[in-house]
Amino acid sequence: MNRKIAIVGYAQTHHEHDPPNTREGMVFEAAKGALDKAGITREAIDTVINVSSDYQDGRTISNLFLVMAEGAYLKDESKVEMDGAFGVLYAMMRILSGNHDTAMVVGVTQGSIFSPHQISFYTLDPTFDRQIGLLNDISAAAIQARMYKNKHDVSDEQIAMVSVKNLVNAASNPYAHRKIPDLNVKKVLGSKLYYDPIRELNISPISDGACAVVLASEEKAKEITDAPVWIKGVGSCQDSYLRDRNLLKLESLEIAAKKAYEMAGLKNPSKEFDVAEVTERFSHEELMIYEALGLCSEGRGKILIETGVTERKGQIPVNPSGGALGADPVLATGLVRIAEAAKQIRGEAGKYQIQGVRQALAHGQTGLCAQSNIVFILGGEE
Amino acid sequence: MMKRNVAIIGCGQTKHGRLRDVNTSEMIAEAAWKAMEDANVTPDEVDAIVVGNMQGFGGIYDTELWAGELFGAPKPFLRITTGGTTGGSVAHGGYYSVASGLYDVVLAVAFEKHSDSKERGASTGLAHVAMANIFHTMQHGASIKWLVSLATGAATGVSAFQASCYMYRSGCGVKHLDMVAAKSRRNAAKNEYAHLRWPNCTPEDIAKTEWISYPLRFGHVCPASDGASAVVYAEEEIAKKKAERPAWIKGVAAYADEPNLMGENSQGTAITDLSEQLQCIISAREAYQRAGIKNPRKEIDMAEIYQPFPHQELMFSERVDLFDDGKAWIALEEGQTEIDGSMPLDPSGGVISTNAIGSSAMQRVLECALQVMGKAGKHQVPKDVKNAVAHGWGGATNFTTITVLGDSPRR
Repeated sequence: MNRKIAIVGYAQTHHEHDPPNTREGMVFEAAKGALDKAGITREAIDTVINVSSDYQDGRTISNLFLVMAEGAYLKDESKVEMDGAFGVLYAMMRILSGNHDTAMVVGVTQGSIFSPHQISFYTLDPTFDRQIGLLNDISAAAIQARMYKNKHDVSDEQIAMVSVKNLVNAASNPYAHRKIPDLNVKKVLGSKLYYDPIRELNISPISDGACAVVLASEEKAKEITDAPVWIKGVGSCQDSYLRDRNLLKLESLEIAAKKAYEMAGLKNPSKEFDVAEVTERFSHEELMIYEALGLCSEGRGKILIETGVTERKGQIPVNPSGGALGADPVLATGLVRIAEAAKQIRGEAGKYQIQGVRQALAHGQTGLCAQSNIVFILGGEE
Repeated sequence: MMKRNVAIIGCGQTKHGRLRDVNTSEMIAEAAWKAMEDANVTPDEVDAIVVGNMQGFGGIYDTELWAGELFGAPKPFLRITTGGTTGGSVAHGGYYSVASGLYDVVLAVAFEKHSDSKERGASTGLAHVAMANIFHTMQHGASIKWLVSLATGAATGVSAFQASCYMYRSGCGVKHLDMVAAKSRRNAAKNEYAHLRWPNCTPEDIAKTEWISYPLRFGHVCPASDGASAVVYAEEEIAKKKAERPAWIKGVAAYADEPNLMGENSQGTAITDLSEQLQCIISAREAYQRAGIKNPRKEIDMAEIYQPFPHQELMFSERVDLFDDGKAWIALEEGQTEIDGSMPLDPSGGVISTNAIGSSAMQRVLECALQVMGKAGKHQVPKDVKNAVAHGWGGATNFTTITVLGDSPRR
């Protein structure tokens, strides 16, 4: 990168299903919160990237009426219609180009308005798969989970352990949506079956929520804060469509992670970052994410979860905030991961703070079976 | 800091109209492959892809997820959509991708396929943009009569209101709108990719068409087209190697304003003069400044204005500072805005003739690039095009994208 970029502010709303708040209200709360956190006002922001989806919001031009709420009027504004982490990538590009010095990314989804599972149907190939009517994000994930289980001899109990870890973690996160402090494997396996082997507690909840992140170039970041969180590396990639890719692996995530590690200069990644916040829409995905990120070799994700390596007290804590299983405001989820990673670096995570975090990883995804992935490496002062 | 120079090195578009012989993915692939061929790059040489359309017309969502392989997946994808300005925003996304230094060669694709949808398209069927807000404001006592008159007309309704605002502001008449529409249809006849092509169309021909919503006639309104357009961006060294005469991106800006009329609460507290277009004035000023253009009227050789309705060509050409406020119709009367005039506007026929909505603002950038590269064929303006400006418009009349292109890199 020709210019260093830092995260200088962030905020999120309390993620809930159908809270007594409007889309505009949530965006305002997050945007204002992030500016307050950075200690700046709207005037200091050069460009605003909105992250929302026309389908999710049930209206076309979903950013149109958010211009006021996010304070983007008479500012260079645009919208990314993918996971919020991609919005951060676009904001970075705008700063790196030299046209802008500060940027705000605001992501919002009200999952309660239009079920994200129903919408996933529309991301299917319309001439073939959609006509058959069998596939959606959950059934596609079930196919993937079954293939993964068979190939690597993974048990339902091992997959359930991911839900237990994340939902217990979520219990100490004040912003999380689904908190179950006394959860155990038996309860997960006893929850409602959707598509075998996927059960209710293996699926992320449908949340409403917003998140905002403020970015600044090196010079501006140093003016704004004493504790900037530097973006050290970023990489993204999108896989082929469902039927044309190898569902057993998250290849695009592997490529994205490799790029991010290279940019950040990480030689032995699993030892060099201290915490990871990943977007796991289904519990088996988290095991596959471990493998794609290079935390373990292929098919060994189950060992990490069994031995507690990714617990809060483990060697590489993953999702101490509860992850997407704890709260999933769809397009804002990746942005929340970035905010949570930044929190850990700044030591502001409260009850779920991991000690001595210097570098952190954040991951966002879009599409069926984690088709499009993006990885960020964040770091504190050198 | 040193800013990176970026150029368009290849353009591709489909023919526009009712394309029933291809599906959406084939249509996008056609434009994307044409652009890569024109740029003399293979898909392997493309580092990343930026894509966008205006969701909701064809009942398909995030097309690139299931159609991506046809034009490049697996690769990094970025989906950017902003309604009417989508194409301009995708074009900006492609520019920023390369300008950031993260990628060297980037493909940007924008498209729309209206005919797959039962909806009549953007010109009449866009009421749902504001529907949620309308119900909300009714709860607060706004009159249903006023809201319905505004909302049921959708893009045409808002634009009819805007046209009246502009006519009041500038003193032009409906005959000037007829002239713009006729000029667009004539220009489109020279553009093999355009949708509504009408050689030798006269303002009298347009004046014979029936009223849609005063002051707009049927002949004034854009069609709902199917089509895709794509451009390939490259950084300076590659651009010089790959293209004989690349079209350099000199400045971009996309300022947003509050939604006109339906501001915070639809109670008329926001902008009431829809022809004011402050966000366009600011966008143009910023883009010119980034491009190092001090006197646009002298330095800009032609413009592609986003004009689904004819008054917008006049109005926006003023807002991007090519004419004085309220005076563009005089330049129109003098023939300055014809293909062979001193300031050609929309030599491609513009949006009045072709509106595949997600792609339309990208087409403005693409057409300017063709003019700079000298590849516009029959609608190439006869003079040497050194600088050109591409404009995009959308939202509830509150979004603008401006792209300034030139024949030499920015220094």
